[in-house]
Amino acid sequence: MPQTETYTLSMGPQHPSTHGVLQVRLDLDGETILKATPYMGYLHRGIEKLLESRTYVQGVPYTDRLDYVSSMNNNLGYCRAVEELAQIEVPERAEYIRVIVAELNRIASHLVFIGSLAIDLGASTGMLYAFRDREKVLDLFDLVCGARMTFHYIRVGGVSADLPPEFAAKCDEFLKVLPEFMQEYEDILTGNEIFQYRLKGTSRMTKEQALSHNMTGPNIRAVGIPFDIRKVDGYGVYPKLAFDVPVGENGDNWDRYRVRYLEIYESAKLVRQALDGLPEGDFMAKFPKALRPPKGEVYSRTEGTRGELGFYIVSDGGPKPYRVHIRRPSFINLQGLDDMCRGMLIGDSVAAFSAIDPLMGEVDC
Amino acid sequence: MFGEGLLTGMGVTWKHFWGKKETFCYPEEKLPMTERFRGGHLMFDHTKCVACTLCSLACPNQAIKLKIVPDAMKKRHIESYVHLVGRCLYCNLCIEACNFHALSWDKNYAISTWHKEEMDDELVTAEGKEFFNEMMEKAKAEAEAKAKAEADKQKNEGGDA
Ligand code: SF4
Ligand code: SF4
Repeated sequence: MPQTETYTLSMGPQHPSTHGVLQVRLDLDGETILKATPYMGYLHRGIEKLLESRTYVQGVPYTDRLDYVSSMNNNLGYCRAVEELAQIEVPERAEYIRVIVAELNRIASHLVFIGSLAIDLGASTGMLYAFRDREKVLDLFDLVCGARMTFHYIRVGGVSADLPPEFAAKCDEFLKVLPEFMQEYEDILTGNEIFQYRLKGTSRMTKEQALSHNMTGPNIRAVGIPFDIRKVDGYGVYPKLAFDVPVGENGDNWDRYRVRYLEIYESAKLVRQALDGLPEGDFMAKFPKALRPPKGEVYSRTEGTRGELGFYIVSDGGPKPYRVHIRRPSFINLQGLDDMCRGMLIGDSVAAFSAIDPLMGEVDC
Repeated sequence: MFGEGLLTGMGVTWKHFWGKKETFCYPEEKLPMTERFRGGHLMFDHTKCVACTLCSLACPNQAIKLKIVPDAMKKRHIESYVHLVGRCLYCNLCIEACNFHALSWDKNYAISTWHKEEMDDELVTAEGKEFFNEMMEKAKAEAEAKAKAEADKQKNEGGDA
């Protein structure tokens, strides 16, 4: 009788499909995964501590480096927290501009998700299409703030500059081509049988499991819980805009893909409404340059692209925050990896990472 | 039918194979940078600067090292303005902090270097250096003239008494 024993395989941190530097130890029985343990920390830069040693305004560019695929949303989260702490009233126009750029960034980030999911499952053509279209959004951001990656556009009190005059036309053009390229993904990926086989029914999660790991964002919506902070808290001008929250049914990888795919349409809807309803006015609130928020603490959360992005800031009345803690959705979502991988095959673990869509800059912070 | 989706996907690729190219030949062809583009080296206009150090104070990562020398008239001048490119976040805070528009980006994004030392960029040009010396000389002459005038005045006052 041959003896069998479990086998431990270390995946990453230098692995092309771990989205950066994630290491996962897989305990295997043959090809079946018994346990998957993520090991993090390879990209730790101490951003919380960096924020504590900078003034409130100087901290914003560091938040760009958290989830570097959707910097606008991080800027927004941090700025909203500081504004709440310092009681700064943001002008209406700035709020609308924020919605436009944050939702465009959500589209860009979900395109990266689709692209990287495709290449992780072996469909490299799919990746090229998604990255081609993401460039269109980056071109818009380049116009708005002069950067393609670390935007530093949303500032404490508003945004750094008004939208350039040619922006509206360019954005309009982008929204017009969006359904065309989305249809291309339908043809090239969604309909593809191999793609479907790899995603449907794999890494299924129940509502209870997802809740017990405190997953948020598209990961929780995929199991059928319509939890979206833009709806639940209704911050900024979101309550004035109409959009739906797509949810999944089975909580499998396929639903995680579909939820994000449909969210692109919802974000486009929001951009369209914000662009049409853009009021005149200031783009920056007036507040003292040497910002000293009163003593106190605040926890402010926004719907980042990957889930609930929360900033907890304690102020001691000085020019720098006394303590900053960031609730990073990628980090917390990754805790569900073990449940998603158990009983699956090694190849499915790659689909599972991809479907959680963690970003290591945000996981390690 | 199994394989239908695969074929549809291939159809999309086939169509694009004959369609317009999405890429171009860098570095033979280059795209123009946008008006607000932040990148490349900082450019410094020595005629506009008043040596207030606001730019260096605004920098979150201490990427700007200034050497400020007071002249004989107690006015401050910039002798050296070093931009530590390796520390720079390209956040634009320095440019926004300057009330005299003395700073801007040169937008030349191809700035990789072989050595770390080459990353520190002195922004005061030879022309700026000359300007600096000129200002120092001028202030010195001014101070001397002032001192002389004062001495003369005192002498005269002494004479009167
Ligand atoms: S762009 Fe930002 S990091 Fe770079 S020198 Fe200016 S203030 Fe400093
Ligand atoms: S802020 Fe402007 S004027 Fe002041 S030191 Fe810097 S470059 Fe010179």
